[in-house]
Amino acid sequence: MNALEQLIFLLEGVQITLSVSVFAFLLGIATGIPMMLLRAFGGKLWELIVEGYEKVLRGVPIVILMLLFYFGIGVRVPFLRDPFVSAALALGIRSGAYQSQIFKGAMRGVGEDQMTAARALGMSKLKAFRHVVLPQMFIIASAGLGSEYALIVKDSAYAFFLGGGLLDVITRADILRAYALTEHWEYPYFAYIPTALIYIALTFPLATYLDRWGSRRKKKLGI
Amino acid sequence: MPDVVAEAENVWMEYKDIIALRDVSLQVGEGKIKVLFGPSGSGKSTLLRCLAMLTKPTRGKVFLRGEELTSPEADIDKARAKIGFVFQNILLFHHLRALGNVTLGLRRVLGLPKQEAREKAMKALREVRMERWVDHYPAELSGGQQQRVGIARALAMEPEIILFDEPTSSLDPELKGEVLDAMKDLAKKGRTMLIATHEMHFAREAADEMIFQDEGRIIERGTPKHFFTNPSTDRARRFLARLVREGQSNV
Ligand SMILES: Nc1ncnc2c1ncn2[C@@H]1O[C@H](COP(=O)(O)OP(=O)(O)O)[C@@H](O)[C@H]1O
Ligand SMILES: [Mg+2]
Repeated sequence: MNALEQLIFLLEGVQITLSVSVFAFLLGIATGIPMMLLRAFGGKLWELIVEGYEKVLRGVPIVILMLLFYFGIGVRVPFLRDPFVSAALALGIRSGAYQSQIFKGAMRGVGEDQMTAARALGMSKLKAFRHVVLPQMFIIASAGLGSEYALIVKDSAYAFFLGGGLLDVITRADILRAYALTEHWEYPYFAYIPTALIYIALTFPLATYLDRWGSRRKKKLGI
Repeated sequence: MPDVVAEAENVWMEYKDIIALRDVSLQVGEGKIKVLFGPSGSGKSTLLRCLAMLTKPTRGKVFLRGEELTSPEADIDKARAKIGFVFQNILLFHHLRALGNVTLGLRRVLGLPKQEAREKAMKALREVRMERWVDHYPAELSGGQQQRVGIARALAMEPEIILFDEPTSSLDPELKGEVLDAMKDLAKKGRTMLIATHEMHFAREAADEMIFQDEGRIIERGTPKHFFTNPSTDRARRFLARLVREGQSNV
């Protein structure tokens, strides 16, 4: 393979890296918001349970979660036996534990008054949350969600440890390394630099955009 | 008494270290305009919030059109849809334009289709002369304009009664007038309103009855004429004199 072919080979992994990350990010939203709500409104017991759960998820190295899902639980639960599913699930539920925090801060930023004004119109708690609090939470949380997304993309590289069944960017870089080193093992190997650049390209622009969009929006809306 | 719209019956509101309302009873009849006034901390906001069941009184009963809202079976959300509330600190929804602020309740609470909600909202916004600002976000409006949207938001729901909690007290003096004018218009159209305010000029012009509240109790009630000529309690007399002295109103 010449340099261009190698680059194309690497880039073909972008789709997989992105799919894992986007899936995990959405799963993080889908679990993070309910956890935040349980914590805020569920009473003392739920607060303790959710807090414990979040602490554990945030404390464990993500690679251990992936390995546990794939090689551990996955032995008994066939659908986890797919490295894509194991990686995305591990990243997603861990992200939920972080996003719960992000949304908690965002809800505090929206403030109780907005809820009161919505309730005064006759909205139920749920409707008020859905139509008044949540949209503003996303605006306030946009910068935090952007960095969380970047973190997921980067940490998706740990799927590398699931044994090469997932042809994402990092796994492809490793295949190229193996290929190069069997032939020229004494040469210094630099293909990790374009690999790193690809990860930067996948994270930096979107995170920056979300950050800027959020600030502009917040300023315009006065929140 | 004509048809009673909203009623508080022996209402108490007891917080941990303060009693905000002590045995307050009050009725607002159809088409009546009542002004609630009294020193800061006397419980005006608490009373209004109890009437809208934004907080539940610790004792006593609250009624809307004879239905007891303090009863455990009451559908509070449904009742709140029939009670307009205009807040001291305005509380428009920041993420929605003026029009969206007014249509939200029409769409999501009353379930009106988009077009109908829009027409109703525009009608309410015209009533407060805000029809030219419908596409602006709250942060792009002056305080007075924001509060007029706040009034339109309440008005559009066609409530049985509108409760105003010091609607002009957060506004710069030069912006109070436009909001008071909008309220006077509503008064002329026969809306039922209970208004906590220190705008005595407005009270004199619009109120059917004034209610003086202090330390969680209703101390005295009467017509504006009664209060401005010869209030019977010392406390009301002193409070009104202070309002004049502080130039908070032009009695
Ligand atoms: N949520 C609350 N918790 C504790 N005390 C409160 C609360 N809300 C109001 N109060 C107290 O109740 C009293 C009446 O307050 P409020 O109804 O706001 O008076 P006003 O509107 O006449 O200024 C005040 O002493 C206030 O500090
Ligand atoms: Mg008050």
